[in-house]
Amino acid sequence: MKTSSTFNWKKLIFRWEMALVLILLLEIVIFGSINPRFLKIPVLLGSINDYISICIIALFGTIVMITGGIDISGGAIVGLTSMVLGLLWQDVGMNIWVAVVISIFTGAICGALNGFLVSYIGVQAMVVTLGGMFLYSGLAVVLSTLSVSSAYEGIGGFPEEFLHIAGGKVFGVIPNPFIIFLILVVIAYILLHKSRYGRYVFLVGVNPNAAGFSGINYRLVSMFAYIFSGMAASVAGVVLTSYLGSCRADLGNGLTMPIVTAVVLGGTAITGGKGSIIGTGLAAIVIGLLRFGLQMSGVSTQYLDIPVGLLLIVAVAARGASLYMKRPSFLVRKQKSV
Amino acid sequence: MNKLIERITQTREVFTVVFMFVLFLGTGIVNPGFLAPDNILLCLNGSVIYILLAIGISFVITTGDIDVSIGATLGLTAAVCATMIRDGSSLLAASATALLIGAIIGLINGLGVTKLRIPAIIMTLGVNGVVRGSIYVYTEGKWVENLPAAFKRYGQITLAGFVNLFLLVTVLIVIGVYLYIKKANKGKYLAAIGDNMCGATLIGIPVDRTRILAFILCGIFAAFAGIIFASKIGFVTPTAGNGYEMKAIAACVLGGVSLTGGVGSVIGAMFGAIIMSSISRILVFLQFSSNWDNTITGILLIIIVVADALIQKHLKEKARRERLAARDLFVAEKTCEEVGGVFQ
Repeated sequence: MKTSSTFNWKKLIFRWEMALVLILLLEIVIFGSINPRFLKIPVLLGSINDYISICIIALFGTIVMITGGIDISGGAIVGLTSMVLGLLWQDVGMNIWVAVVISIFTGAICGALNGFLVSYIGVQAMVVTLGGMFLYSGLAVVLSTLSVSSAYEGIGGFPEEFLHIAGGKVFGVIPNPFIIFLILVVIAYILLHKSRYGRYVFLVGVNPNAAGFSGINYRLVSMFAYIFSGMAASVAGVVLTSYLGSCRADLGNGLTMPIVTAVVLGGTAITGGKGSIIGTGLAAIVIGLLRFGLQMSGVSTQYLDIPVGLLLIVAVAARGASLYMKRPSFLVRKQKSV
Repeated sequence: MNKLIERITQTREVFTVVFMFVLFLGTGIVNPGFLAPDNILLCLNGSVIYILLAIGISFVITTGDIDVSIGATLGLTAAVCATMIRDGSSLLAASATALLIGAIIGLINGLGVTKLRIPAIIMTLGVNGVVRGSIYVYTEGKWVENLPAAFKRYGQITLAGFVNLFLLVTVLIVIGVYLYIKKANKGKYLAAIGDNMCGATLIGIPVDRTRILAFILCGIFAAFAGIIFASKIGFVTPTAGNGYEMKAIAACVLGGVSLTGGVGSVIGAMFGAIIMSSISRILVFLQFSSNWDNTITGILLIIIVVADALIQKHLKEKARRERLAARDLFVAEKTCEEVGGVFQ
């Protein structure tokens, strides 16, 4: 009882999240000294518009990865949501908010299909979501041909209130997407770290059989992880559509890799059973600010994959090395005797 | 004869081959033009790049790893090869450079996965970013164009009047690799590692070396695909090969290569790649819009893996039942105390 009451400072400081915070501060200092405009609060906060979808999807992709799966269909669901939203609003003539709700529901269905195939049929998550990626992005393209607007132009001319989702600012400073991100962080944090469901998620990730034997409906638990992930992708699709003011089938192209990068950089184990929402949220912002800062420092957009890729490899290698050195003493002795 | 049938049904690739024939014949019934020899050859010719990528990645997948950097590798090697040939190098020098680059990228992947213990998908994801960025650095964001006509003509060389040179080389490579993996001891290391890495270590297989070799082979095949890409397409954009890694993985899955490792063959990967790249052509012959391409690919992929998962589940359950029945029989026969005690 005594140990639990004393606050463990050492444990708090030597955490992966702290390393991420350090990287974040380092980025702000370095980019701030290169280009002072980077330090202006509106610019810094406004940059989130560029990578809000990565942040949102990565948060809930973390839950999927903790159950031991992976969801690479997020980018495709973004495009599909955008097209469903546009079609319902323009060609069906629905109220924009009803369309938003239905399009988020679409994401939930996509996630449910992924989750069902993974947890009830028993196909590998990577394969299912790969198939899902082709299927959903393909459906988005098919939907875009159904619209009266040409696929190239996309559907535009949304009402002012809808554009306000991403374009508006709270108190005139903080952009709405930032608030949306914070709300989703809180929701995901409570879901994963403070609820019974979250505990089940970790247990399923560590050992699904043990979870099953202890009376948990582990199939349903992991299926819901995919549903959450699909819904998050839809929310990202809605925000992105609102930000750009037009629907396009290829909105989510190229998001898959950054999402997985953010989740992994946030300290989530790809084998499942380990990870945190705060870590993923920080990692997504680290990646986003890195790209944004380099752009403001005059690096061309096309080169940005190099530093992000290097950051991923170095961070994961360093993390692996530190864990390797910290392994329990009985393992060390065992290896020496061999 | 019975044994032969049994062996055929137990081979996973057969499922893919039968599926391909059904798909082709089905299309042929709706539109007989599809089954014309010329058209089938065009289908096969069009799949050469995917075949090479798929058999390359099948090595890595068989050892239980994955490589998502091959699309970028294809792009970089295509750009390097095309630039060298445009600037007057010989085909041999340009190809050698491209293959070397592919091998180096594979080596980096392999070292990261085995020595630094980074999970394969993360390592290759990072390398993918770096290589993709390097293409822009190398080409300065411009297209590589104005390739000499002689280089582009390699894609049109045919032997005996109808067999495309690239297709012939690819098929020969597939057969060679298949025989090596099935017959040579070292070829079996790949599947052994993918099936049970600890077990493979215990029986003395050089696990790390073999995994690195698989990554290097994957890089070399991607580079080879890059050379053919440059020759066939005739120009190289900085986004060349974007998303090809996912299509190659999908082709492997269609061909019965299991992503958990240890199961599958290059023949399967080849047929998977042929199906993958023929879908858009099939759609045209069925008078669908080619917009349905990705949708159909996704549906096919999901149907195949779900069918496979259900069949495997059924077989496992059947094997378990047989084992239990055999055990009951055994216990009933041997009423001896010790034997009964062991199985109680």
